[in-house]
Amino acid sequence: MFFIVCALSAEAKPLISALSLRRDTHACPYDTFFAEDSSCVLVISGMGTVAAASATTYLLTRFGFNKEQDFFLNFGSCAGAAPGLHPIHKIHDDVTGRDFYPDMLYDLSSCGLPLSSEKALVTVSHVVSSLADPELLYEMEASAVFQAAARFVPPHRMLFLKYVSDSGTDDPKKITSALLTAWAEKHVSTILRVIQYLKDQKEEDGAIDEDLFLGTALALRLSETMRHELHQFFVYAKAEGIDMEPILSDLEKEGKIPSGSKREGKEVLDVIRQRLI
Amino acid sequence: MSSVKDLFNFPFSHIYVEEKVMDHELTRKILSRYAKSSVIPITHYKDVFNRPNQSFLLQKAVPSLILARNTGASVFQGAPVCQDFGYDHFYYTSCARNCIFDCEYCYLRGMYGSGNVVIFVNLEDILSEVEELLKEHPVYLCVSFDTDLIALENLTGFVARWAEFTRSHEDLTIEIRTKSFRKDIYEKIAPCDRVIFAYTLSPQEIIEKYEKRTASLAERLGAAACAMEKGFPVRLCFDPLIYVQNGKDLYTSMFEEVQRNIDVHRLKDVSVGSFRISSEYIKKIRKDFPTSSICQFPYENRDGYMQYPRELQKEMENTLLTLLQSFISKDKIYMTDTEEKT
Repeated sequence: MFFIVCALSAEAKPLISALSLRRDTHACPYDTFFAEDSSCVLVISGMGTVAAASATTYLLTRFGFNKEQDFFLNFGSCAGAAPGLHPIHKIHDDVTGRDFYPDMLYDLSSCGLPLSSEKALVTVSHVVSSLADPELLYEMEASAVFQAAARFVPPHRMLFLKYVSDSGTDDPKKITSALLTAWAEKHVSTILRVIQYLKDQKEEDGAIDEDLFLGTALALRLSETMRHELHQFFVYAKAEGIDMEPILSDLEKEGKIPSGSKREGKEVLDVIRQRLI
Repeated sequence: MSSVKDLFNFPFSHIYVEEKVMDHELTRKILSRYAKSSVIPITHYKDVFNRPNQSFLLQKAVPSLILARNTGASVFQGAPVCQDFGYDHFYYTSCARNCIFDCEYCYLRGMYGSGNVVIFVNLEDILSEVEELLKEHPVYLCVSFDTDLIALENLTGFVARWAEFTRSHEDLTIEIRTKSFRKDIYEKIAPCDRVIFAYTLSPQEIIEKYEKRTASLAERLGAAACAMEKGFPVRLCFDPLIYVQNGKDLYTSMFEEVQRNIDVHRLKDVSVGSFRISSEYIKKIRKDFPTSSICQFPYENRDGYMQYPRELQKEMENTLLTLLQSFISKDKIYMTDTEEKT
């Protein structure tokens, strides 16, 4: 699943439409949208760091981020000198002076985002009137989004994509919702390619046959410590490509499973170890 | 599903550089080799290296490089589970953290939260620290400890600098341990009997299964033979011994290959030690590498170190010792015995 945080409806609108997201009509603290096939959820946080951190936490806790399967995306506008959409490799919080680094493992060049499009970004507390450093991007949420998300999301499953809407302005009203939506619209196809590109990246979890494990642990009357030991045997067997079932069924035929006592169970555990190694 | 490898950036596509070493000569040299990489200025290397929840596994596949200044102490006394080869003052130092190789059993997977490679560019400060230590007593120093310096030599030139430094400091003996195939290094540095090149050897099947990206057994033996030829003392490390079902056959044929390729009588010494790892490290490794059989092996916890069951360990080590004693004298064989030392 993709978890997406946008600050403003105007920024999110083209994405909501392109991903065919539906508004969650339950009472939600933030405007929330979801895909019917559960491939994507999106929240509108509102402007500023407090709103961003709070909405990020809400989204990740409500929908339960899976560290092995899901991705997190913060998409929105920023001020900068270089037009276009930029993956962010460094986020500097202007207020606290702290820096944050999403992991940049994935090659997004085939989605239209080459290494050269990456930028560092500064999160500030107000709309900037000019660019203190034209190499940097400026916006008002990312550092808070990162900090809140980092509690749930590994750095290699976070993505910050920001599009340049202006180069700083004395009058924020000049950056209208219509303009923000129009600029976001230009980058939607890239975002869709990124989502498509990353959506199947699942990490191995080494899951074992829990039913067989629990049944064996019960039949052997194992203590908690012995259960851990048996669990380790199961995990090792899976990693080594050894099928536990024939080993256990042989022990059953030999009358060793089930065992009559915890002590007998411990002896059987030693036999399992010997047969595994 | 697309292959993960296809999705990744190239190794060192991102180079994080501490602002205070941005103008260091070595930093500039390294950056000049990676013109296509994205260079990201950072305040302190730990801001990147110590982030929570990093994937060691994925970062190993596509590591970033971090260039930093090592501040504070950089030379440490050796741990009890490490072989001291009879030297009284055994120390190690880390001028880099992590390496470009990817050994499945590596303790660094448990020690560090990151698979990225850190290079401390200020080697001159570590050399000064060693000079201070040498005022107190002779020093035996492992310089390729939390990394493989030879594998990084093209980038850093540290091996050449350590060799030169050791030649000019009589009371210093260094060990440079490696799984690299590089021979060219022996053309570039002058031989010294206190610069020991230590080659970790494993049967080829184990190398293929557990020591990804390292040199083959034949390549390591070729490099070791070259070092001996050039007059450097060479140590062979059968450490860690790894348990596999047909281990006895594999280790026997490995020894045959060693004898075919190396003049074993000219070896400085050899070390033998079965795989062991801190119980704290294995907890993290097992979580991070759920499908690795070597990490998930049901080890026994003895004195805080996870080790093979005693009988199995004895059997493995005795097999090795018998094989070794057929071609090298007993006084040149160093066994790592954790139980005696802890």
